[in-house]
Amino acid sequence: MTAVLTFLFLFIQVSENIVVKDQWVRPGAKGMGTALYFTIENNGSEADTLYAVTSDISDKIMIHQTYSKGDMIGMKMVKEIVIEPGKAFKFEPGGYHVMVMKLKHDIKAGDETEFILHFKKAGEVSVTASVAKN
Amino acid sequence: MKSFLYSVLIISVLILFGCQSKFPLNKDLTKQSYKFFNQDSVEVTFPGFIKGKTAVMGFIYTNCPDICPMTTHNMIITDEKLTEEGINDVQFILLTFDPDRDTPSVLKKYAEVRGINFDNWTLLWGDKENTDKLLIRFDVMALPSDSSYSDDGELNYYMIHTDRISLIDKDGRLRKNYQGSKVNLDELLNDIKELGE
Repeated sequence: MTAVLTFLFLFIQVSENIVVKDQWVRPGAKGMGTALYFTIENNGSEADTLYAVTSDISDKIMIHQTYSKGDMIGMKMVKEIVIEPGKAFKFEPGGYHVMVMKLKHDIKAGDETEFILHFKKAGEVSVTASVAKN
Repeated sequence: MKSFLYSVLIISVLILFGCQSKFPLNKDLTKQSYKFFNQDSVEVTFPGFIKGKTAVMGFIYTNCPDICPMTTHNMIITDEKLTEEGINDVQFILLTFDPDRDTPSVLKKYAEVRGINFDNWTLLWGDKENTDKLLIRFDVMALPSDSSYSDDGELNYYMIHTDRISLIDKDGRLRKNYQGSKVNLDELLNDIKELGE
C-alpha cells in the first residue's frame, strides 16, 4: 500500500512538472486539417520529451515544424520535442505546430477541443484548446 | 512663368517616382485570360471578373495547417478593417496551387468554416495547366515535398511554396507583392486605399 501511494505521489509530482498553457487551435472543416499551438513549461529538474498528441477529433496528428528555404516555405514532421528543465517551449504560428489532419467534424471559432499530450516522463497531459478565429 | 513651369515639372516627377517606389510593379495581367472556377463551380475568367476593382489575391492550399491560414487570416482582417471604414468594393481572391485536392467544394468549406463572405471573396480552382500559367505570371512557386501513403492507400503530401499576397489595381495590373503570412497590415491597408483612389 505504501509502495502504491509512493508511486502515485511520485507520478503526480512528475506530472505537475509539466505545465501546458496558452493552447489554441485554428478553425477547420471536416476532412481537412488544422494546427494546434501551446506553450510547454518544464518546472522539473529533468528534461522531458513530448512524443505524441492524440485527440478524438482526428486519428492522424503529428508534430510539425514550418521552415523557410529562400522565399519558399514548407513544413516537415518532427519526431519529438525535448523540453529542458526550467525551460519553456513554444508551439506558435510560423514555427512548431501540431498538425491535426482529417478532422472528424468542423471546428469553428468559439468551440473547444480536447487533446492529450504524451510525454515520456510526465505521461499524459490533457488540455482543452479553444478554437480561435484565425 | 518659367519658374512656375519648372515647379510643376519637379512636382510631377516627384509624384511619378514616389508612386513608382511605393508600387514598384506594373505587370499587366490583362494580356492573357485564364479559365477558372469559383467555390460554387461557376466558371470565371481571370482577370476579367475583377475588372474595375482593386483586388487582394492570396495563394494557398487547404492541407496547409500553418502558413496558408495565416495568409487567409491576414486577408480576412484586411477585409474587416476596410469594411469598418466603409470600403466595400475590394475583391479578395484565394487561388489554390493544389488543384488535385482543393476542388471548388473543398475551397468552399475552407472559406465557410472561417466565416468568409462570398459577396467580395472568390476562391479559385483551375486545372493544372491554367493554375501553373497563372502562378508563373505572379512568380509564385509551389512544389510537392514530403509525401506518404496512408493505410487506406491515399497519397498525402505537403507543399513547399511562395508565401504570397498580391495587390492588383483596377486596371488588372499587378502592383505589389507581400509576404502573405507576415504582411504588415497597415501597409497593405494604406496601399489598397491609395490604389483605389
